[in-house]
Amino acid sequence: MDDYQTCPKCKTTKYRNPAMILMVNACGHALCESCVELLFAKGSGACPECKCPLRRNNFRIQLFEDPAVDKEVDIRKRILKEFNKRQEDFPTLREYNDYLEEVETIIFNLVFDIDPTNTNKMIDNYKKENKDITQKNRNRQSQEEMELEELLEAEKAQQCEKANLYVNAELEEKKQKHKAREKLIDELMFSDADAKSIVASHAQATAALAKEQPKAAAQAGSGVVKSSKFSSGIQIGLRGHHTNSFLPIPKQEDLPLYRYTAPVFDYDGPPPPSIEMLGKLNYFANIRAANITERAGGYTEAMSCCRALQEAMGGLFYSPQSTHKTAVLATISTEDTDDMETT
Amino acid sequence: MKLNVDGLLVYFPYDYIYPEQFSYMLELKRALDAKGHCLLEMPSGTGKTTTLLSLIVAYMKAHPLDLTKLVYCSRTVPEIEKVMEELRKLMNYYEKEMGMEQNILGLALSSRKNLCIHPSVSKEREGKVVDGRCYSLTASFVRARHAADDAIPICEFYEGFDAHGKEFPLPPGVYNLDDLKEYGQMKGWCPYFLARYTITHANIVVYSYHYLLDPKIAEVVSKEITKTSVVVFDEAHNIDNVCIDSMSVKITKRLLDKCSNSIQLLETTISNMKENDSKRLEKEYKRLVEGLRDATIARETDMALVNPVLPSEVLEEAVPGTIRTAEHFVAFLKRVVEYVKTRLRVQHVVQESPAGFLRDIHTKVCIDRKPLRFTAERLASLIRTLEISDLTDFSPLVTVSHFATLVSTYTKGFTIIIEPFEDRAPTVSNPILYFSCLDSSIAIKPVFNRFQTVVITSGTLSPLDMYPKILDFHPVIMTSFTMTLARPCILPMIVSKGNDQVAMSSRYETREDTAVIRNYGNLLVEIAAAVPDGIVCFFTSYLYLETIVSSWYDQGIIDQLQRHKLLFIETQDAAETSLALINYIKACDNGRGAVLLSVARGKVSEGIDFDHHLGRAVLMFGIPYVYTQSRILRARLEYLRDQFQIRENDFLTFDAMRHAAQCLGRCMRGKTDYGIMVLADKRFSRADKRSKLPKWIQEHLKDTNCNLSTEECVQTCKRWLRQMAQPFSREDQLGISLLTLEQLQSEEMQKKIQQRAQGI
Repeated sequence: MDDYQTCPKCKTTKYRNPAMILMVNACGHALCESCVELLFAKGSGACPECKCPLRRNNFRIQLFEDPAVDKEVDIRKRILKEFNKRQEDFPTLREYNDYLEEVETIIFNLVFDIDPTNTNKMIDNYKKENKDITQKNRNRQSQEEMELEELLEAEKAQQCEKANLYVNAELEEKKQKHKAREKLIDELMFSDADAKSIVASHAQATAALAKEQPKAAAQAGSGVVKSSKFSSGIQIGLRGHHTNSFLPIPKQEDLPLYRYTAPVFDYDGPPPPSIEMLGKLNYFANIRAANITERAGGYTEAMSCCRALQEAMGGLFYSPQSTHKTAVLATISTEDTDDMETT
Repeated sequence: MKLNVDGLLVYFPYDYIYPEQFSYMLELKRALDAKGHCLLEMPSGTGKTTTLLSLIVAYMKAHPLDLTKLVYCSRTVPEIEKVMEELRKLMNYYEKEMGMEQNILGLALSSRKNLCIHPSVSKEREGKVVDGRCYSLTASFVRARHAADDAIPICEFYEGFDAHGKEFPLPPGVYNLDDLKEYGQMKGWCPYFLARYTITHANIVVYSYHYLLDPKIAEVVSKEITKTSVVVFDEAHNIDNVCIDSMSVKITKRLLDKCSNSIQLLETTISNMKENDSKRLEKEYKRLVEGLRDATIARETDMALVNPVLPSEVLEEAVPGTIRTAEHFVAFLKRVVEYVKTRLRVQHVVQESPAGFLRDIHTKVCIDRKPLRFTAERLASLIRTLEISDLTDFSPLVTVSHFATLVSTYTKGFTIIIEPFEDRAPTVSNPILYFSCLDSSIAIKPVFNRFQTVVITSGTLSPLDMYPKILDFHPVIMTSFTMTLARPCILPMIVSKGNDQVAMSSRYETREDTAVIRNYGNLLVEIAAAVPDGIVCFFTSYLYLETIVSSWYDQGIIDQLQRHKLLFIETQDAAETSLALINYIKACDNGRGAVLLSVARGKVSEGIDFDHHLGRAVLMFGIPYVYTQSRILRARLEYLRDQFQIRENDFLTFDAMRHAAQCLGRCMRGKTDYGIMVLADKRFSRADKRSKLPKWIQEHLKDTNCNLSTEECVQTCKRWLRQMAQPFSREDQLGISLLTLEQLQSEEMQKKIQQRAQGI
């Protein structure tokens, strides 16, 4: 790989000398390791390309294909050490973005040597003004970084846990299968019972086991948040554990047992015939029969007939005096009657 | 015929109907009523398409407010054309019955490559080139320049469409790709943009999966489709893979080198522009400072670059200051590309989570997560501002920008795998970075959330319960229909051993065994002697196919085989394969008979039908498991296990069996058809594999046929073939597997259908 990498001084390529290592210094020009040793034997010297004075100890192994990027990253790291304000330090996002751009411009200027005096002045100014914040920020991670750290840690923890869990589960399963098979063979060998029945009972047992297993697996993986809706927006029972779980039985408290008492209905009219009797009394003759689709929903013509009769007969005996049976009813019905009279 | 499906009047364009089609309609209607998603499996060759279309069109007519649009997604252009044919038939029937023009507009949409009518652009072969050239003729700035200077070429068809096409909507009717082209020619309008414009008000749209599932394309094409639509994914057994592919990115060394070139191009363009016309850059800069979204994004022709799905709150936010100016952004891109290059310089495989990648990129080249997230958007904006008309060069850079955006957006459900070389050639350095999506539900989630009903249907969706799990949705209806048949016209058999009683299996340990290979060969030879016309064989991989064929040469099996039939082999080369296919069909047509050796998951297994004499028998040599050592697969299995509690083996078996079923289904393309299905592997007879076959195959797989030797298998074949060779007419089918309207309405049949519905 990177066979075409060439040292600009001695023209060696990576292809001819696979052991060649390119180095870069602050100016962003590459040199191979042997050239560095040769040229900088005294510890310092000038870059053969840009003649800028360099120290030997500042040479580093070139990380990127393009040495300019190495240089840029180098400068960037240096600058960002000072310019480490966070979004939290700014009142608005806009100002933060302006700050970011400013930093970027400084780096850009340094990399391409644009207007060095002004840039350096800017950096110095900044350093002076923001000493405290820089110091403070150096010791604290930004929110984003913290988030990432957390994520990574969570991943690691999960991996360890899961790996053990599943390996064990699989081993266990295998063991069980093996045991079951041995048991079957043993039984077939030594038992006097009918071979068929032994095989059948064995099959049943394995089926029961198989049913249990998915549950166990689901339990192992519980804690994963799952969606709780059908596609049409209907809630699914209690999700989170597994699909076919029942609703938990509500806790019973020691209250007196519930006793059913038929509700008393103040009907104020002759009792209508019961719903079963309607057919015999020939009430349906005057009513449209329910069609097939209506019946599918549980509707019968008796229902509407019964209701119509109730409505027709209810309140026939009504008179304002006789309604004052109970205090509760009275308060409600008087309002109604008032309305009735006015209309 | 006119049907009453649970109170809905359905026009069905044929005189006869299969009972399962009626049941399918019932289930589909229930799903539409409930406004939920459904999963329906019905064997191939039973008229899924026409059933779907006729019910949904009827529903649209009956409830025009509840259901306004049908979006039918298919996989390939020929399949799209088939759907359009069915739709045309249906609409003709409506017209005949109702006696008037129907107010329904249906159209197909495909890429520019298939729809372009520009005299020179349409000559291009490659889709990307057509897209790029179209863009260079129709982009808004090109047209603006043309207004100033007539010498700059533009596309006259697009101009025609732009001038008039929007006022006159496409008249109701059914338009397939050719009709659209014809209409475009006649009017002088661009068919592609006409179709894209028409999508918003058409009643029925037929296009490829990608227009909905690929977030990059869906954003532009399918944005305006209303919620009250029903979306159908036909042949959806591979839908999870489509979802995953649409969100995954693969970066090679070459791609990165091309990126460096395009970055240089960007640099020079920017410096040119700074000298000549710095106003535009300033304008862009101002807009970014204000945090406004690009206004020009609405211009439909400027679509060539779009960003993958981003959470909307990110889109609202302003572009971070670090990449606001053009030069800074280019320097930023350079750093990203150089960083990825260093990552590719690895000696051993690296697997990393997106979070790890983000941390590393931060420490190595000081890039924060936030600007990374805006990369795709920023690049699109820059390219628009620079008015670069030739986009084809930039596709590598666009890929990298998508990668940057995706990796910083999603921390879950993705993994990064860097392989220094391919497993098969460990000495050749060919580093590839896979940014692989592990969770198929990510891509499809917006579809499920947005549309009221999504229908996922195919001939082979078994086991059904796996799909809701891996796509993470809750269907209201999940049904598998079998095929009612008047005669047992499929014969599935599991052959587990050869005549010498050596077990047949493609297990890794035994697959190279000469005895196994010889037994496979003998099985094929004997079947070739007994079965007339065409035989299709599927192997588990190209590699296995090649090793087996070479040993068959040595063992003389090929010679024996050629005594009975001609032999054709599928290869990885598409042209070679299609040539082999043509000749295979020729040999079957003229009665010489032929054997086609092909590969499960290959081209042949996925879209080519071997109906009637083209496929009288299908042999499946071994279980088509995926290559399980692949790291991407491993990562996905792990993810499925952790997130969805799907065990590795379950998923692998599921995947293998759906491909096996897909292969087997090739030979059965209708009710008059008949075919033998031989599953030549001992492991098929185990309950976990067998139960994962589609119901319609399982029904015919008798216990007696589950553990055969070669000899027994051939005997069964012979007996069965004699039975099938008897004349078979429509009258034999009527009342059982084919119904007239009267028969359908008869009480007995209604009862049967009811029972079927309840039994599910």
